[in-house]
Amino acid sequence: MSRSHSSSSAAALPLPAALQGDIAVWIFLLAELLAFGVFFLAYAFARARNPALFDAAQAGLDRQSGLINTLLLVSSSALVAHAVAVVRRGGSDAARRAAGALLGAIACALGFIVVKGSEYAAHFAAGMELSSSTFSMFYLCLTGFHFFHVVLGLAVLAVLWRQTVAGVYRLGDVNGLESGAAYWHMVDLVWLVLFPLVYLMH
Amino acid sequence: MQYASQAVAKPYFVAAIGLFVGQIIFGLIMGLQYVIGDFLFPAIPFNVARMVHTNLLIVWLLFGFMGAAYYLVPEESETELWSPKLAIVLFWVFLAAGVLTVIGYLAVPYATLAKLTGNDLLETMGREFLEQPLPTKLGIVVVALAFLFNITMTVLKGRKTVISSVLLLGLWGLAIFFLFAFYNPVNVVLDKMFWWYVVHLWVEGVWELILGAMLAFVLIKITGVDREVIEKWLYVIITLTLVTGLLGTGHHYFWIGTPEYWQWIGSVFSALEPIPFFALTVFAFNMVNRRRREHPNKAATLWALGTGVMSFLGAGVWGFLHTLAPVNYYTHGSQITAAHGHMAFYGAYVMVNLTMISYAMPLLRGRQANSEKSQVLEMWSFWLMTVSMVFITLFLTAAGILQIWLQRIASDPQPFMVVQDQVALFYWMREWSGVIFLAGLLAYLASFFVGGKPAEARAS
Amino acid sequence: MQTRDSIHSPLTVWLTLVVATGITFFAGEFEGSGPAGRWLVVGVLALALFKGSLVALHFMELRHAPAVWRWSVLGWLWVVVLGIAGAYLKGAA
Repeated sequence: MSRSHSSSSAAALPLPAALQGDIAVWIFLLAELLAFGVFFLAYAFARARNPALFDAAQAGLDRQSGLINTLLLVSSSALVAHAVAVVRRGGSDAARRAAGALLGAIACALGFIVVKGSEYAAHFAAGMELSSSTFSMFYLCLTGFHFFHVVLGLAVLAVLWRQTVAGVYRLGDVNGLESGAAYWHMVDLVWLVLFPLVYLMH
Repeated sequence: MQYASQAVAKPYFVAAIGLFVGQIIFGLIMGLQYVIGDFLFPAIPFNVARMVHTNLLIVWLLFGFMGAAYYLVPEESETELWSPKLAIVLFWVFLAAGVLTVIGYLAVPYATLAKLTGNDLLETMGREFLEQPLPTKLGIVVVALAFLFNITMTVLKGRKTVISSVLLLGLWGLAIFFLFAFYNPVNVVLDKMFWWYVVHLWVEGVWELILGAMLAFVLIKITGVDREVIEKWLYVIITLTLVTGLLGTGHHYFWIGTPEYWQWIGSVFSALEPIPFFALTVFAFNMVNRRRREHPNKAATLWALGTGVMSFLGAGVWGFLHTLAPVNYYTHGSQITAAHGHMAFYGAYVMVNLTMISYAMPLLRGRQANSEKSQVLEMWSFWLMTVSMVFITLFLTAAGILQIWLQRIASDPQPFMVVQDQVALFYWMREWSGVIFLAGLLAYLASFFVGGKPAEARAS
Repeated sequence: MQTRDSIHSPLTVWLTLVVATGITFFAGEFEGSGPAGRWLVVGVLALALFKGSLVALHFMELRHAPAVWRWSVLGWLWVVVLGIAGAYLKGAA
C-alpha cells in the first residue's frame, strides 16, 4: 500500500488514505499496544492500592536518565520519519541521505540501550530484583519488556539501513521501510506513556 | 495427490480415527463413572479410564499431525518424501507402542506396570498425561526424531515455503519440549513448573504453529487465494501466538509455589492469548470469502471454518474466562477447567486434524472430493460433534460455577464429595451430550463408506 | 518541492516533542503534594497524550490512514491515559 508520487507537479494532489506499511505489521502493532496498555493499567491500579510504597520506590529511579532516553527515542523516531520522507521524494542521492538518517536513528537507539543498561546495572548492584516489591516487579517487567522491544527495533533498523544502502527502497516500493518505521514509532509511542507513568507520576 | 509418497499419510489418518473412537469410548465410561461411581470397578477404575482417554487423545492427534506432515510436505516442497519406507516402519512402531501402552494401563495395576518397565531406572511415570512407561516415552522420542528427520530432509531437498517452515518449527518444538517429560525433579514446585514446559508450550505454543500451518495449507488448496496473502497471515498468527503464549505459561504458575510476580505476568500475557485464535478465525473466513474457485470439497471448508470458530471459543474465550489470577484463585482445578479443556482440544486440535483428513483423504483415495451423499453425512457429523461438544462445555461450566460457589465462596463451604453429589444432574446431561458426540463420530466413520459419484468443481 | 506536509515535517514535530518533553521533565521534578501536585501529574499525563498523538498522527502518518486505524491507536492512547489518570486520582483520594 505505498503512495503513488508525482515528481513533477508543484501542487501536491490529495493522497489517498493509506496505511504506512503492511497491514499484517499493523495487526501485530495493535496487539503489542494492547499488551503494553494492559500492563500500564495494571501498574496504575496496583499503584493506587499502595501509593506510598510506589512513591518511595520511585524515588530511587534516575529521572535524568529517563529524560535522556525520551529525547533519544523521540529523535530516533524523527530521523526514521525523515528517512521515509526522503526515500518517498526520490532523487539521485535519496538512498544515501536516508541511510544517513537511519544511521543516526540507530545511534540514538544504541544510546538508549547504553543509558538503560547502566540504570539496570545500578539497580541490580543495589540488590533490586523481581521479588523486591510490587513496584520493582512492575518496573523491571515494564521497562524490561520495552527494552526487549528496543533491542528488536535496533535489529529492524539495521535491516532497514542495509536495504536502503542496497537501494531496495525506491519510488513506489517502500512497503518494507514503512513497516519497519511503523514498528519503531510504536516503540517510541509506548515509551512516551511509560516514562511519565513509571518515572514521574507521584 | 501430486506425489506418490503422499500415500503414506493414509495409514496415519486411519489409525488416528481408530484411536479417536477408542478415546471417546473411554470418555463415555468416565462420564458414567462420575454419576455411577463403581461402574466397571475394579476392572477399569476411574484413574485408569482417565489415563487411557487422555493418552489416546494425544497419540491420535500425533498420528494426525504426522499424517498431515507426510501429506503436505511433499506437496509444499514439490518433491517426493525422503523415505516412504521409513514412514511406514515408524507407523507400525508408533502404533504398536501405543496399543501396548494402553493394554499395559488396562491389564496390570499401575505400580506393577512401573516395576515391570524399569521406572526405578529413571522415574518418569506418575504425572498427568505423561503416565507412559519409560520404554514408551523413549519410543516416542525415537519415532519423533526419525519422523522429523524424514520430513526435514524432504524440505531441505525441495522448495522451502513459509507453510513447511512453520510446520517444521512447530514439529521440532513439539519434540524438543517433550524431552522435559524425562525431567522429573523431586521438588514438587519445580516438578510442576517443568511439567508445563511440555503441556503449555505444546498446546499453547508449538502446536498452534502446527495448527496454523495445516489450516493455511488447506485454505490455499480449497480457496485458491494467493499464497503470499495466506503466508502473511500465517506470520502474523504465529507471532501473536509466541508473543502471548511464551510468557503466558505464567498462568500455570499462580499457586504452585513460584514467586508472586507470576500472577501478574501470567495474567497479563495469557489474557492476550485469545488474540491469535481471533486472528485465525478472521483469517479463515476472509480467505473463504475471497476464494478464487469453488472447490467441490464443501465438507473440508466447513471443518476449516469450524476450527477457527471453535478454537476461538474453546481455547480463547473459555480460556480467558479463568485465566486472570483473581478469578483463577476460585476456579482452579474445578469443572470450569474441564469445560475449557474439552472445547479447546476439540476446537483446535481435533478439528484441524479432521479438516486435514477431510481434505486429503478423498485425494488419497483418488478423487478431488467425496460424493454429495458422503459429504452431507460428513457435514452432519460435523454438526453433531460440534454442537454436542458445545453442550458438554456448557454443562460442565454450569457444574463448575455451582461447584465453586458451594465449595469455595459460600459462607458455609461444603466438602468436595458433598458438592459433587449436588452437581450430578449436570454430569448426567454431559453424559447424554457425549452419547450424541459418539453418534456424530459414528456418522463420521460411516461417511467414509458412502459411495457415489465424486463431487466435481462447478464452473464459477 | 513543497507538499502540504511541510508544516508537519519531521523537524517541526521533533521540536514540539522535545519542548513538550522538557516541560514534562521539569513538571516531574516538582516535589509538591496535595492538589497542586495532583494537577501537575494530570498535566504530565495530558502532555503524554499530546506527545503520543503527535507520534501517531505524524510519524506513523495515521493522519492519512483509514479512520479505523487512526482511531484504534488514538483510542488506545485515550483509554490508557484516562485509565492511568483515573487510577492515580483514586489512589490519591
